[in-house]
Amino acid sequence: MAKKTGRGFAAIEYPTGMNQNGDPSQAWIKLKPDGRVDVFSGTADIGNGSKTIQSQIVADTIGVPYDWITYDNSNTDSSPVCTGTFASRATFVAGKAVLNAAAKVRERILDIAGKELEIDPSDLEVVNGEVIAKGAPDRKLSVADVAVAATWTHGELITGTGAQLNPYAEIVDPETGQVDLPPHAAISYAACAAEVEVDDETGDLRVTRLTQCYDVGRAINPMLVEGQIEGGAIMGLGLGVLEECYPYYPSVENRGSQFGSYLAPGMADMPKMDTIIIENPSADGPYGAKGIGEMANNSQPPAIAAAVFDALGVWITELPITPERVLRALDAKAAPRRAGKVVSFDEELSLASVAHADAPVKLVVEA
Amino acid sequence: MKAVGARLPRYDGVAHVTGRTVYVDDVRVPGTLWVKALRSPSHHAAITRLDTSAAERMKGVQAIVTHADVPTLVYGHLSALGIPGDEPLLARDEVRYKGQPIAVVAAEDEETAQAAVDAIVLELEERPTLFDVRQAFDPDAPTIHEWGNWYPHFEGEMDRRQIRKGDIDRAFEQADLILQGVYRPAAIEHAPIETQVCLVVPEPSGRLTIYSCTQALYFSMGVVAAHLEVLLNRLKFVGGTVGGGFGGKVDTATETICSLLALKCGRPVKWRFTREEEFLVSSTRAPWHIELKDAVSKDGWLLGRRTLTLHDAGAYARFSPYGLTKHSFHHTGAYTIPNLHFDGYVVFTNRVPTTAMRGFGVTSVSFAVETQMSRIAHELDLDPYELRLKNANRIGDTSPNGVAYTDPSTVATIQAIAEATGHELTAEYRTMTGDHREGDWLPEHLVGQIRDPEEQH
Repeated sequence: MAKKTGRGFAAIEYPTGMNQNGDPSQAWIKLKPDGRVDVFSGTADIGNGSKTIQSQIVADTIGVPYDWITYDNSNTDSSPVCTGTFASRATFVAGKAVLNAAAKVRERILDIAGKELEIDPSDLEVVNGEVIAKGAPDRKLSVADVAVAATWTHGELITGTGAQLNPYAEIVDPETGQVDLPPHAAISYAACAAEVEVDDETGDLRVTRLTQCYDVGRAINPMLVEGQIEGGAIMGLGLGVLEECYPYYPSVENRGSQFGSYLAPGMADMPKMDTIIIENPSADGPYGAKGIGEMANNSQPPAIAAAVFDALGVWITELPITPERVLRALDAKAAPRRAGKVVSFDEELSLASVAHADAPVKLVVEA
Repeated sequence: MKAVGARLPRYDGVAHVTGRTVYVDDVRVPGTLWVKALRSPSHHAAITRLDTSAAERMKGVQAIVTHADVPTLVYGHLSALGIPGDEPLLARDEVRYKGQPIAVVAAEDEETAQAAVDAIVLELEERPTLFDVRQAFDPDAPTIHEWGNWYPHFEGEMDRRQIRKGDIDRAFEQADLILQGVYRPAAIEHAPIETQVCLVVPEPSGRLTIYSCTQALYFSMGVVAAHLEVLLNRLKFVGGTVGGGFGGKVDTATETICSLLALKCGRPVKWRFTREEEFLVSSTRAPWHIELKDAVSKDGWLLGRRTLTLHDAGAYARFSPYGLTKHSFHHTGAYTIPNLHFDGYVVFTNRVPTTAMRGFGVTSVSFAVETQMSRIAHELDLDPYELRLKNANRIGDTSPNGVAYTDPSTVATIQAIAEATGHELTAEYRTMTGDHREGDWLPEHLVGQIRDPEEQH
C-alpha cells in the first residue's frame, strides 16, 4: 500500500462562436463632448472579462487611452443585440462588433479633424488620444478638441455602429452531416499534461501539477486569459475527480443539495499550474483573437485519467474519478476482452450490456 | 500605450472583490412580493387535479399563476434553429421530473408564499420512470416524452445526428487494431455563487423592467416576449453583470413566470432560487454515454472511427439537440480521421432537464477521444505525444463535416507541452509543423482520403 504517482497527457480543440454560426452581435459607440468614449454592447459579463476585453479593443481601434472608455452593457433599451455570452463568442464575435463600431468612430474623428486642420482625413491618424498628420507630427489636434468642434462648431455627434454575423452554416446533407460553410468562427487548440498522486489503499487522488498550453490567437489581455485558463482548469479538475450530481448515476438518489454535500473544488485542491500561451492569429478575429473560455475545462479530465492509469494501471472511464471508483477499479483489475485484432474495454458499461436484445440502437460490431 | 496585449486589471474587478457590485439580488424596490413554487414531488406522473382556489383566498397572497395563465405555454428556445418546443412553462397534464414547476405564488412575504404553495391541492397519478439512457430503446421501456424516448426532429426528420465520411468498412478491414471503449462523464452542477434570480417591476408606462441574471439579455427577452405574446418594446431587460453562469443562466429560469405574476397583480415580484432549488431543480450539465470504436494501423494511424453517443437530456430537449450536433462536429478531437460513422441520440429520461454548460457537447467527447488516444498509445506501445502528433489536424485536412482546417495548432500546442515537461520527442516529431501534409505525414493509404480531393496544393 503506497502513494503512487503518474503522468498523463491530452490535446484538444474547440470552436469559437456558436456551432454553425448565425449568432449576431451589435454595438454602438458615441463620443462625449470631451472626447471620452461610451460603448454600448449587449454582452453580459459572466466573469469572462468581456467588459475589459471589449473596452481594450475599442481603445486601440479608435486610438485613445483605455481609461477614456466607459462600457455599458446594463440594459436592452440602450444596448443592441448580443446573442449571448456562451459558445466562447464574447471576445471574437461581440469583440468584432465593437471593433467595427470603433472603426467607424475613428473615421468620423478623422473627418472632423480634417476639417479643423484642413488636411485630407486619409493623411491623418489617431494615436493615443490625438489626431496627428502622418509625417508631420507637429500638426495635431486632441480627440477632445475634435469632439468639442463636432459638438459646437459642426453640430454633429461622433458615433458609430457595428455588427458581426458569421453566416449560418447549413447541414446540407443530414445523412452525412456535411455543411455548406465553416460551422465555426475559429478553432482554438490546447494541450495539457497532468501529474497525480494517488493512494492505492484509500483511493485518495490529488492532482499535483497541470502544465497547459493554449493557442488563443491573440491574447487581448494576457492576465485575463491566464485567469480563464487557470480557472477553467479548476473546473476541469472538478469534472475529473470531484463533482457529480448523481453519485450513483443513473440513479437519481443521493443528490447533493448544498455546498456541504456537493463537492466542488476549493483552494486546497489547487495544483501547481504552468500556463503557456501560443498566439497563432485567426484570420477574422479582433486583433487575431480566438475564444478559449469554454475549452479551458476540457483537457484536464482525460489527462488526469491517463495519469491515474500511469500510476495504478487501471482505466477509469466513468467520471469523476472518486476514491470509490479508484478502489473498485483496483479490486476489479478489469482487462479488456481480446479477440483477434479487436480489443474491447469497458464492456460492462456498454449499451449492449444493459439494453434489450431487440432494441434498435447499437454500436455496429464487425468481425 | 496599446491596450490590446496589456495586462490591464478587470474593468469591474475592484467592485466585485470589495462587495460593491450591484447584482440582481441587491436591487431594492418598495413593495416587492416574494415568490415560491409548487413543484412536482414525483419523477413522472399525470396531473389529475390542480386547485389553487384556497391558496388564492389566503391573506397576503397577491397572485398565483398556473399553465392556464400563460399565453404561449410551450415555446422552443431554439425554434429559430429548427428545434421545436416541448417544455411547458408550467406543467399542465403531466410532470416528467421531480421539481418541475406547476404553480407559482407571489405574496407579501416568504412565509405566506410558502403557506399558499402548501395550500394548493395537487393530485397525481404515478407513471413508470426511466433513468438509464441505455434502456430508453427497449421495446418495453416506459414512454417519457410526447416525442417518445429520443428526439426525432433533426434535419430531414431524422431521429439521430449522423456523420458519415469516407469508407468506414474499408477502414476497419485495413485495421491492425480495433480498440473499443465506453466513456461516461457525469452530470455536474453549474454551482454559481448567485442562484437563479430576477426582479420584475411593472412600470406606469405599462412596460416591464426585468432585472435578470441571464447570460444573454436579448435571448432571454425573446423568450419572455414569446411566452407573453408581447413585442420587445414592452420589455426592458436590466443586467449584464452575472454572479456566475457557466451556461446555466441561458435557461431564463425565472424571468417569464415573474413577468406573468407582476402583470397579474401589478406589483414588483422577485424570485431568488434557494440553494436547494439551485442544486436540485435548476438544470445541470448533461451526463453522456459515448462508445468509440477505432480502426488503427499498427504504426498508429487512425483509419476510422465508429461512434455511438447517447446524450441524457433529462425530461425536455432545451438545448440538447444543439449540444449533440456540436458534439458530432468535434468527435474526432484535434485529429484527422478520414473514415467516420457517427450516430448520436438525444435521449429523454425522468431527470431534471440538462442544459448548456462550459464546453457544451464537446467536454464529453474530449474526455472520450483523449482517453481512447491514451489507450491506443499504450496498446501499440507508442509514445502518447507522438501518436497524437502523427494524427494531428494539419492545414488542408478536413473536419468531420468536410470543412478544411485553416490554422490548426494541434502540433504546436503538443510540442510546447513536451518541451515544458521535458518529454523527449524524436527529431521528426520535434521539428514537424502543422502545415499541409506531405512526405511521411501523408502515407499512401491516406492520399485522397484525408483532405478535400479537389484541393490542389
